[in-house]
Amino acid sequence: MRLFYLIKKEFIEIFRQKELLPLIFIAPIIQIIMLGYVVKTDIKNIPVEIINLTSNKIAARIINRINSTPLFRVKAISDQNKDTVELLKRGQVKAVIIFKDPPRQNPLNYPEIQISLDGIDSNTSLIAAGYFNGIIKKFLLDNLKKAGMHQPAMSKTLIRFNPTLESINYMGPGIVALLLTIISLFFTSISIVREKEQQTMDTLLISRLTPIEIYLGKAIPTSIIGLINMSLGIAAVMIWFRVPVRGNLLYLLLASIIFLSALLAYALLISVITSTQQQALFFAWFTMLTFMLLSGLFTPIENIPPGLRILADINPIRYLIKIIREIFLKGNGIEYFYKELLYLLAIASVTVTVSVINFKRLISK
Amino acid sequence: MPALIEIKDLTKKFGHFTAVNAINFSIRQGEILGFLGPNGAGKTTTIKMINGLLKISSGQVLIKGLDARKNRREIKKITGYMSQKFSLYPLLTSLENIEFFGGISGLSRHNIQKKKEEIQPLIPRPILTQKIVDIPPGMKQKIALFVCLMTDPEIILLDEPTSGVDPEVRRNFWMEIYQLKKSGKTILVSTHNLDEVEYADRIIIIHRGNIILEGEPSELQARQGKDSIEALFKDAIINYDNQLSRTGGAECSD
Repeated sequence: MRLFYLIKKEFIEIFRQKELLPLIFIAPIIQIIMLGYVVKTDIKNIPVEIINLTSNKIAARIINRINSTPLFRVKAISDQNKDTVELLKRGQVKAVIIFKDPPRQNPLNYPEIQISLDGIDSNTSLIAAGYFNGIIKKFLLDNLKKAGMHQPAMSKTLIRFNPTLESINYMGPGIVALLLTIISLFFTSISIVREKEQQTMDTLLISRLTPIEIYLGKAIPTSIIGLINMSLGIAAVMIWFRVPVRGNLLYLLLASIIFLSALLAYALLISVITSTQQQALFFAWFTMLTFMLLSGLFTPIENIPPGLRILADINPIRYLIKIIREIFLKGNGIEYFYKELLYLLAIASVTVTVSVINFKRLISK
Repeated sequence: MPALIEIKDLTKKFGHFTAVNAINFSIRQGEILGFLGPNGAGKTTTIKMINGLLKISSGQVLIKGLDARKNRREIKKITGYMSQKFSLYPLLTSLENIEFFGGISGLSRHNIQKKKEEIQPLIPRPILTQKIVDIPPGMKQKIALFVCLMTDPEIILLDEPTSGVDPEVRRNFWMEIYQLKKSGKTILVSTHNLDEVEYADRIIIIHRGNIILEGEPSELQARQGKDSIEALFKDAIINYDNQLSRTGGAECSD
């Protein structure tokens, strides 16, 4: 019953801060939609300039194909030779494609094609090169087919779980995990330190509340808000971006609760060891950034160097993101991600223990 | 009257720094003990050791014969505490604060409701439904005292309860404290407002973590040949500091 009064008080305090409410419940949805667009790795409309120095008909047909694909946006086609380096230097285009007369010894009369790419944005350049090679390959295969010939080797690629390779399907669930982290971490990290600042911590400590009740009274309200936020986030990626949810969301609830116990224990630890809300927010910000970079959301975990991999291994967001993707895209059940759940459980056990020990130390200094 | 609280060689150290230095005193049942001292003298540290908010470095606090270190739960039940800043939640209304503190003190729903009714004649209705952040300090003080007394504690520890309020509010506050004494409560009040000493049965002057004077205000004045408490207080502090500089002793404050 005492815990009920503490939880009620926490909720009143949160809901009385009217300027904070939109930040808690509306901003995350806007963020998720914005991030959903921003972090898309699909590259379309790459600006290119075409220099066609030949009257070759095949060249004209390939140019047509480049023109009609949404992957490239042809900014100019000219029949005059230009300095490609200068064109890329100006930054108006990311690629320059030059078509030249076929070499004399070429019996099929295919033009010579050269593509120059702006390598500063290595990702876009590599993707542009891939797109371009794909167009040429498709063109050649179509020609072989027309001539009644078969291609020398056959390969068929089947892409499962995300057949259209939409990056939002991959990033969206990860962003939901990130959202849960941001809200819970920031809110909880200031909860105890605020009590210290306004001297109400003393009153809590001399009341009949036990340390565990105080601890739970701080953790439960932010967990509930975090879970509401996560649900809104899931609804946003499902409705707005049409990200499929193929698995059982109850598993996600279970994983989120374990994840939250680890995260909130860490946030409470921050709140215990700091003396001002400003310090707590700084700690929370630093933690969030580290967790985010080592979460596998933006770069695959496998790409993280071995030294930093240890940090990634103890990063709870990493496991939550993996579980969310398994549930969302693969529709997997617990038998496919029980290991991640166990890792989360282990991290939660350690952080809760350390945090409770530190909290008890605070109240008996 | 028997001693309800006994303080024996009570010491608090923060690292190498001694905030309270082996002090001894007792508080008799039903008396008001004024705990005087300049800022940083060790008043709050002592009170926080008595109510268990600070760990005792050495020495003993006995409340009704119970060791405060070993019997925190029992002692919580018989003590009320009001801190310097009133310790109310600024975003909650007065009534919500009362409900909250009643709830975490283990009062039943029925008793909380009774307490909410009891405060009605004491505080104007609009104040009760206003957020604490928006009400004047005098009202905050009144509500903080009401909250402190909600569980009807035998011992009341008040840490500078009159700081930041105007003289009239202070006078009224002390009237209430006097009524509490009459009803049998034992009260320890820390203050640096020397004019409040007239309300105390006995006073203790603490400076740099040491008790430098103890007794009934009038008796102390007579003994030291001073015509006012202000003069008594100033003299005691100056004498102590002079003695300290003569002996070259390194002393402490919190």
